Order: sequence, then structure tokens, then C-alpha cells
Amino acid sequence: MGNDSNRVTRRVFGAGVVATSLAGVAPSFAQGTPKRGGTLVATWGGGEPQACYVPAGGGSSPTFSSSKLFERLGSRTMEGKFQGELAESWKPAADFKSYTLKIRKGVKFHDGKDMTVDDVVYSVSEIWKKYAAASALTDFAGITAPDVDTVVMTFNTPIPEFFFSSLLCGNVNYIVPKHVYAGSDPVTNPANNAPIGTGPWKFKEWVRGSHFEYVKNDAYWRKDLPYMDRLIIRYVRDPAGRAAAMEAGDIHIGVFNPVAPPDIKRLTGTGKFVATPKGYEESVWSTTLECNMRNPVFAKREVRQAMFHAIDRNFLAKTIYYGYARPGTSPIYSPNKEFYTTDTFSTAFDPKKSAALLDAAGYPKKADGKRFAVNLLAAGWFTENGKIGAYVKQALEDVGVAVNLSVPDRPTSIKRIYTDYDFDMAISNQANPSEPVPSTTQYFTTDGIKKGVPFRNASGYSNPEVDALVEKIKVETDPAKRKALVFQFEKIITIEAPLLPMLELESITVASTKVQNHSNDPNYLAATWYDIWLAS
Amino acid sequence: MAGELASPAAPPRITRGSSRRVAALRLLRRRLIQAVPLMLGVVVINFVLIQLAPGSFLELMTAENQVSDPATIALLRTTYGLDDPVWLQLVKYIWALMRFDFGFSYRQNIPVIDAISVHLPATLLLMISSITLALAVGVAAGVVASMKVRTFWDTLVSVAAMFFFAAPSFWLGIMLIVLFSVKLGWLPVGGMATIGGTSSGAGGVLDILHHLILPTLALGLFYAAIYARVMRSSMLEVAQLDFVRTARAKGLSRNQVTISHVLRNALLPVVTILGVQMGTVLAGSVVIESVFSWPGVGSLLFDSVSSRNYPVVLGIMVLGSLVVIAANIAVDLIYMWLDPRIEIR
Repeated sequence: MGNDSNRVTRRVFGAGVVATSLAGVAPSFAQGTPKRGGTLVATWGGGEPQACYVPAGGGSSPTFSSSKLFERLGSRTMEGKFQGELAESWKPAADFKSYTLKIRKGVKFHDGKDMTVDDVVYSVSEIWKKYAAASALTDFAGITAPDVDTVVMTFNTPIPEFFFSSLLCGNVNYIVPKHVYAGSDPVTNPANNAPIGTGPWKFKEWVRGSHFEYVKNDAYWRKDLPYMDRLIIRYVRDPAGRAAAMEAGDIHIGVFNPVAPPDIKRLTGTGKFVATPKGYEESVWSTTLECNMRNPVFAKREVRQAMFHAIDRNFLAKTIYYGYARPGTSPIYSPNKEFYTTDTFSTAFDPKKSAALLDAAGYPKKADGKRFAVNLLAAGWFTENGKIGAYVKQALEDVGVAVNLSVPDRPTSIKRIYTDYDFDMAISNQANPSEPVPSTTQYFTTDGIKKGVPFRNASGYSNPEVDALVEKIKVETDPAKRKALVFQFEKIITIEAPLLPMLELESITVASTKVQNHSNDPNYLAATWYDIWLAS
Repeated sequence: MAGELASPAAPPRITRGSSRRVAALRLLRRRLIQAVPLMLGVVVINFVLIQLAPGSFLELMTAENQVSDPATIALLRTTYGLDDPVWLQLVKYIWALMRFDFGFSYRQNIPVIDAISVHLPATLLLMISSITLALAVGVAAGVVASMKVRTFWDTLVSVAAMFFFAAPSFWLGIMLIVLFSVKLGWLPVGGMATIGGTSSGAGGVLDILHHLILPTLALGLFYAAIYARVMRSSMLEVAQLDFVRTARAKGLSRNQVTISHVLRNALLPVVTILGVQMGTVLAGSVVIESVFSWPGVGSLLFDSVSSRNYPVVLGIMVLGSLVVIAANIAVDLIYMWLDPRIEIR
């Protein structure tokens, strides 16, 4: 590993966002003949989930624990290609208003019952539509099963193929057993704490406060897989404790920033561990700064741009994220090969320009050197947000803006940002997939303003031009034309600046050199680890 | 509760045999009666404090489940009784508690008592082992220091006590892990048992004890340091009293005097502190559980506060208070046993 592999960004406490896909880097960490048997002990950089499986996602933690037990219809390769999982293939109708999927045969649930098209129909209509992918399935018309291995999903509008394929790869867009969930409230179904899926691992035990124990699914549809007999997901709250457990050989692999940056250097320095940023291409995290349009000061575009010009994001990337972050230039992030463009409006660090914009907007410095005061809220779910808040406070005060900084905990942050809109500026985070609709666009469209729903349009930004553009993106089935529309969207948003994509963050996996075939899925959360193995 | 002595003005009431048992029962009855308003206070204060905290479990739950439909949210509010005024919610909660119903954890989808009972044994085990260690090490060190005043051993005890008193328990825990788990490989890094190992019989017990050593040291040595200091000064103070001089004059050996007369009386302040510190031991276990991934109530409490899982937070507070109250009653009874002259009011 090079130096880049020895850095880490942040600790993670799951803020749930549906992630689909980003094209990736070539896989690695696979060598030699796979060794069968043994137990892999894994951990991650967050806490224990509230349930092993949450139909709506419920944040990153239950997604990580459930993704080893359930499977999706499709997935993406590290090269960015879509591939079938429980669906063998899919193709659109000529008008793109329906898609026909061939469902894989010979797949069994962990309780021995066959997975059938009825399970697919139930999962899409009752779980995806109502919970897992509700915001993406607004134009969903229905699903039918014309024969034993085919389902047809129909929509009210044309659906672009990239959008549809991404939908099949959605983090928790699983196929769940109808015979377990039908007739029950999926949210409170006891099976959520002992899931029955089709994945390579079968649930065995949850020792609350300690670990999940999964065992090999002997009837897995991928022949002779998984290689290992047992998978343990351990929850260690303290990053130093995780580092010690890894060093002592108790934990083989930790994903999503499991240990602090100095420990990464120490662990990799022993030669017994590797650290890699691979495996996060489909779920790039960012730190954002959004302005609350309900405050008349921020209704002026010049003021919003001025705020962003006052912030040195390179400084933040180097000092707070140890270099494992980069300034964002667009609401679509740079690893997104399909839709990222550099042809955007730049709000680079320029305090003089910031001051000039504020003067021009009618907010000159008063006798006390202040122009106006703002309440800056740094969401407390990442410790780094508080540090960024402290810097932003200083940076804005340098251009004459008085800042009242608060760093509330997660529930309070969610309530103040997304329910009460009790902020002038908010430092928050997103994890966006490559398909921009609705994950990215809902931060900017009028229909994204949903009081009480987090990770939507909290700024109150409403622009008919953007709304109309997003409606076009939703239904444009020509890939080239759709890409051009997304580029246009990116340009408008960076000029309008309701939300600054302040930093793109890089996540890290730390693994023992014995662990093979890890980090070979661009979506670490949804990876099933069917082919992971442990060398002698 | 512990250590509320009879008025110094009143002569100590000497109780013997069955009358001591009667006194103990009287004390037990009195403490249990006092516990009722105490528990009520704990419930009311915690309930009100939780209500004052911004955000609610419903908001977090709907947020995590991406529920935005106002009708659905209103239905959930009604389902969870959040439509009721706060005072009515409190009354309903107290009424349920009186029927030993601690409520339902909607976040985990299990009854609160089930959620807590999974974790409580681990915390109690850690508390008991830590207190036992603290008492054994602290009392022994204090006795040695008092018998070897101004010698190397006295200095050693003082320095060690100062170190363990000053060292933050989470730091000490990490250092112990680095030394005994990472470097020497003698003890496990964390957890309560070997995953996939023997969980029953003597093997299971030994496995748990193996995992218990480091967290017990990390939590218990702080209290051992306190007890050592208190015990040393208490021993020196008691050794100056007339009855000790009388015992020596009677020809008892130094060890007999120390163990039979000085030690027993010198223990009283330690027992007093023990009762007072039960609550802090419980609180301290929250930190230690985090460092050692010990699956106790501490981690559950942390998660529950973070997720505004109020029923579980309240349940832990109530059960924690019960544990502290029970421990204090036990301390009062020990107090009576140690010094029969004392009747605790």
C-alpha cells in the first residue's frame, strides 16, 4: 500500500442514505488458492444496530449487518458494470415504462424454502415501495409475475435504464421471504432480529452488546461458496479498543474507518495489516454546508456565495481529515464517472471576494466590525463536524459575520435541521450514489422539502427551473441527453449555492494481510462477502 | 443512607442476639419504606429530564425510516402515547411500573425488561468483581501501610494509591489491554466470553473470569486506591483509642490486636464510602464497558440516550436506583454487624 492507504477520515455513526453505485477501482487483495473453512471476525467504525435488519434501511449499521444475510436483485462491479444477483437479467420495454426481469432459479431461503417470483413481487410492492426505496419509486405503477421466473415492473413514466439498474442495486432493496413477512408489520416483525434471507451467511445468534454470529449457507446458489464457515461481526465502541483487538489478532477486518489515523499507520507499519480506500466508490461521503433560505439574509444568492468563498476547504481537508478528503466542486462527487463534471461555478477560498459580495448584497461592516449574525449548527454525529464548525466560525468572523456555533448530538441535530429548521447554516453530511435521482436531487428540489425527514432539502431552496430540470432527468432515457441535463443541474446548483459540497470524504478499510477478497465490491455496506477467505 | 449514625449525644444502644436481629429487621423495614418515595423521586426527575431533552425517539425513528406522511406520524404518536400530556404519560408510566411493567422498546422491538435483562447480569458481575477487588486490595494495602508507617511499604502504597486514583479509568483500561493483551497475549482484549467457545459448565465460568480480569482491574483499582488511603488513616486513628491500649495491656499479640480490634473498627469509614460509591461504580462501568466491549447496561444506556430510547433509559435508571438502594441497605446491615453498639436510624 502506498502512503494514501495509511490515512483515514472520520469515525462513523450511521446516518442512513440509500447508496447505489459508483464506478470503482480494480479489485485487489485476492491471491493464491482460496482456503476453505475458518472464522472471519469483522468490525466496523460505528455502533451496534437497533435491529439486524431494518426494512427502511435504518442507517448504515443495520445495512452492514443485514447485507450478509439478504441479497439484492443486482449489484455493481468494481469496474462500474451492473450485474445480476437474484435477477439474472433485466431489459426495458421500448417505451421504458416497464422492465422485464428474469429471476434466478434454484435459490433458497435460509429456512429451506424456494425463493420465487412471489417473493420478488411482495418485496418490491410491500417493502421497497413502502420503506426501502419509497423516495425512488414515486412513479412505480405495479409489478406482476407472468411466469415462474419472470417479473415485470411497470411505471407511470419512462424510467432511464441507469436509474432502474441502480434501483436494483439499492443498499437495502433486498428480496425478503413473503412467507415470513406477509400479513405482518414489516417494521416490527420479529424476523428483523433473526433474518431469513438468501445470502451466503445464515443468522445464528445475536449477543446484544457484543456480536452477530453468522454461519455458512450450505445451500447458497453460488456453488461451493462461501469459503469460510463462520462470520462474526463484532461491535467495539472504542476505536482504540478496535485497534488493540486487531493488533491482538481478535479482529481480522474493520471497515468504514475502524481505527484512528495514528493507529492505521501503526498497524500497517507492522506489515501485518493493509489499509485501503477501495470499496466505498458507490457510497461517497461528503461534508456539506447548507444555508437556510427562510432567513432573509440567505435568500440573496450573493450572500450564500460569499459564505462559501470565506472557507478554505483545502485547509479543512489537510488538518481535520488528515488529507483524506478533498474540496467538493459539485453536488455530484468526483468518483462518479457517469455524471460528474468540472464545468461548474467555483466558490474557491477568496476572503476579499467574499467581503465584496457581502458589501454588494447590502451588508457592509457596521461600527462594531460585524455585518450580521448567524446561528451555525454542526451536526454532532461526526466529531469532525464540530471541528469544522469551529473553523467555519473563525473564517466567517474574519469577513465580518458573527457566528453562534452549536454542536448538538445526533437526535437534536436531526430535529433542528430537518424538523424545526432551527439553523441559519448547517454543517451536515451526505452519502450519495452515482444515480443522482432522487438521492442528490432531493436536496435541491421543492418536493424534497419534507419536514421531519432527514437528508432532504432542509435549506428550503425552491427553484422552478431546477424542479423542471430534475423532472426531465427523471424521464430522459437517452444516456447522453440525460448526462447533459445532469451537468446543467450541477452548474445551476453551484451558481445558486443553497448548499456547499464542502468536502468529499474518503473512507478506509483496515484488514489483516491474511484476509483475501475484501474491498472488491464498490459498496462496502451492501457487500455480501460471499468470496472472502482467510489465508493461513 | 449508609452511615447515618445515632446522635452522638445519645449513648450507644447495645443490642445482642435476637434483639440485634430485630433491630436489623426494623432497619430493613424502615429502609424499604424510605425507598418508595426515593424511587418515585428517581422516576419523576428522570422522566422530566428526559422530556426536557430535545428530540424524541419517534422523530429519530421516523427519520431513520424515512417516514414523512403526517398521518402516519400522527398515528405513531397516538400508538406510543405521545399525544397525552406529559403529566398523564408520567402517571401511566408510574402505574405500569407498579405492575412491574417497564414498557416497550420500540426501537429494538422488544420489552424494556428484556432489553435490560440481557445486559444487566454483565454489569452486575463487573460491579461486584470490581468492588470485591477494590475492598480486598484497598483494605489489605491500607492495613500494611498503617502497620509499616513511614517505611518503604507505606510509601509504595501511597504512591500506588495516588497513581490509580489519578489515572483515568479509560486510559488505564487501554494501557492494560496494550500490556496484557497486545504485548503479552495473556488476556483477551474485550468481550465477556470467547465467541464460539464453551458457554456452559466450568469451562464457561473460567472463560468469563478470564475476560473479567482486565475490566475489573481497570474499574476496581481506582476504588482500591481510595479504600487504601481511607483504611490507612482509619487504622492509625483507631490504633490510638483506649480500647486498643487496653487490649495490648491484656497481653494480646500485635496481630491479634490489629485484626480483632483495630481492623474491625477501622472498616467502618470504608463501608460508609462503599455505600455512597455504589452509584459511581455503576456509572464508571459505562466507561469501562465501552473500552472492553463488555456487553453490559452501560453500552445499552449509551445507545439508548443517543437514540432517545426513553423507555429503556428510564428502565435502566429505575433498575440502577434499585441496585444502589439495595446495596446501601446491605451496607447498613454490615455496619450494624461490624459495630453492635451502633443502631442506624
